[in-house]
Amino acid sequence: MLEVENLHKAFRTKTGTVRAVDGVSFRAADGEITGLLGPNGAGKTTALRMLYTLMAPDQGAIRVDGIDVAKDPTAARRRLGVLPDARGIYKRLTCRENIAYFGRLHGMAEAEIARRTDALVSALDMGEIADRRTEGFSQGQRTKTAIARALVHDPRNVILDEPTNGLDVMTTRALREFLKRLRAEGRCVLFSSHVMQEVAALCDRIVIIAHGRVVANGSAEELRAATGEASLEDAFVKAIGSAEGLH
Amino acid sequence: MRAVLTVWAKELIDTFRDRRTVLTSLLMGPLLGPLLLAGMLSMMVSQQVDRAERRLELPVAGAEHAPNLVAWLKRQGVDVKDAPADVDRAIRRQELDVVLVIAPAFADDWRANRPALVEVVHDASRAQQTGVTIARVKALIAQYGAEIGSMRLVARGVHPGVSSPIAVAERDLSTPEARSGMMLSFLPYILILGAFLGAMHVAMDSTAGERERQSLEPLLATPAARAAIMSGKLAAAASFALIALALTLAAIVVTFPLMPTDKIGMKIDLGLPAALRMFAVLVPIALFGAALLTLISAYAKSYKEAQSYTSLLLLLPMIPTMVLLVNPVKTEAWMLAVPFLGQNQMIMKLVRAETIGALEWGIALGAGLALAAIVWALAARLYRREQLAISA
Repeated sequence: MLEVENLHKAFRTKTGTVRAVDGVSFRAADGEITGLLGPNGAGKTTALRMLYTLMAPDQGAIRVDGIDVAKDPTAARRRLGVLPDARGIYKRLTCRENIAYFGRLHGMAEAEIARRTDALVSALDMGEIADRRTEGFSQGQRTKTAIARALVHDPRNVILDEPTNGLDVMTTRALREFLKRLRAEGRCVLFSSHVMQEVAALCDRIVIIAHGRVVANGSAEELRAATGEASLEDAFVKAIGSAEGLH
Repeated sequence: MRAVLTVWAKELIDTFRDRRTVLTSLLMGPLLGPLLLAGMLSMMVSQQVDRAERRLELPVAGAEHAPNLVAWLKRQGVDVKDAPADVDRAIRRQELDVVLVIAPAFADDWRANRPALVEVVHDASRAQQTGVTIARVKALIAQYGAEIGSMRLVARGVHPGVSSPIAVAERDLSTPEARSGMMLSFLPYILILGAFLGAMHVAMDSTAGERERQSLEPLLATPAARAAIMSGKLAAAASFALIALALTLAAIVVTFPLMPTDKIGMKIDLGLPAALRMFAVLVPIALFGAALLTLISAYAKSYKEAQSYTSLLLLLPMIPTMVLLVNPVKTEAWMLAVPFLGQNQMIMKLVRAETIGALEWGIALGAGLALAAIVWALAARLYRREQLAISA
């Protein structure tokens, strides 16, 4: 379970201070898929980076399965599987070696790494590419490798930053099925997206972010009811106040 | 600790699978330097031997003014030639190394017991190539003058010793190894630079490069401590530099004994024991270099920026060598603590086969390791920065 309370983060730039995240609170429960929906530049990536401890918030609290991230970031990271916006893999290592590297950094035993890798390779349908060097992989194959790498330590909580970016339709469908499977296993899945349809099709709970703030929060039905709009897209546009940056 | 080893192993595997890097850093680099050095030294030796032993060819202008001198020169085995009409031009255009010009007044001065003039015309800026020849010519003329002078004194009933009140003799106590040190003064620079920047590729690729390839952010999201990740990368970079250095030294150990340096009274004693000691001297520099390059890569916003900083680093190890070239000083203990200067002096001591005391070893290695540790700590601090993982 992920809990975020009143998160703030500002960046100093040449033109002044930018409040990337300005008071974000939400909860992502186990056994549910939570979608972080918002236009480009809304502060989704920054919020997620604070969640997986890459950045420290200026203000606010984050708890992963009840662990305060500020107090024990290492324990929190153990419970998190993270697919960041940056998802480069090592092109001179095979797919399996990429996964094993992260397994070792999580302190796993070799036998455990092998067992988990086999499970992920079959779940993500990457049997053919598992022992190939990743140089020349397609975007979809690279993303699958990065996801397997992020989940090698069998984390209870899974955070994915725009996981379907740049993927074709078939891979996107396969990835959706995989996220549903993670939910069925009782994990807490949190992913960000700027694609409305994707969030609507997948999420039990939607957190809409705009200009660094949460502007709406609830299930698809609740959002439609709250805004009085029949379609989720209209509800979304109404919630963020403009159609800017949407697909 | 396990994370350090994991990162170290991964970075080395990653690097060794990059065939081009391995070829340039581990094959061409270590072989090219020693081969170049060996080639240069062989050429110098053969030239010097050639000049010292070859029959001396000496163009003489105005030979008719001093037939006795010319005849004496021929008896000494000199191949006397006719000089061209314009002597100065021939020397300036480097057609001839040296010409002996006998003044027209030679015979008159000779008979009048006045010093008779002969000129040794040469170009001093070419001393490197012509020095040996000119020295031989001067020595011959001086010898002829001394012989004639003695005969004149004897003819007048005076003991020749009267005109030479002082006898000057030289005793050169330099060892053959020490003499070779003069020739090998550029060896420390090559070795220090190799150890210092051998880590360049791995250090920059594993931090600045990894960030640009977008894999640093996921790496830092693992529970492994940032200092551990950084240390693993640094250790991999230093290991790579040391492998390259070991290959360079191995090439030197193999190629240098093949050179005929004993012919010019030098002895290059760079066997395995000396090479191992040089390796030990350079371990702190390799660690320092890897730490400094990691620091720079973590500080720079991009791979390109890091590269432009490292081109400045090339000059750093040159400074002590340059200073020593202009102002050669005797090694003092404190110098061994100065980075680059200390390694330079230690390697020269090893080349000259001087004994090195435990204190000197302690200072040289201790100061280098302390410096590496300081830069490592700075790099660890930089690695904790939030901006590190996020590429512009």
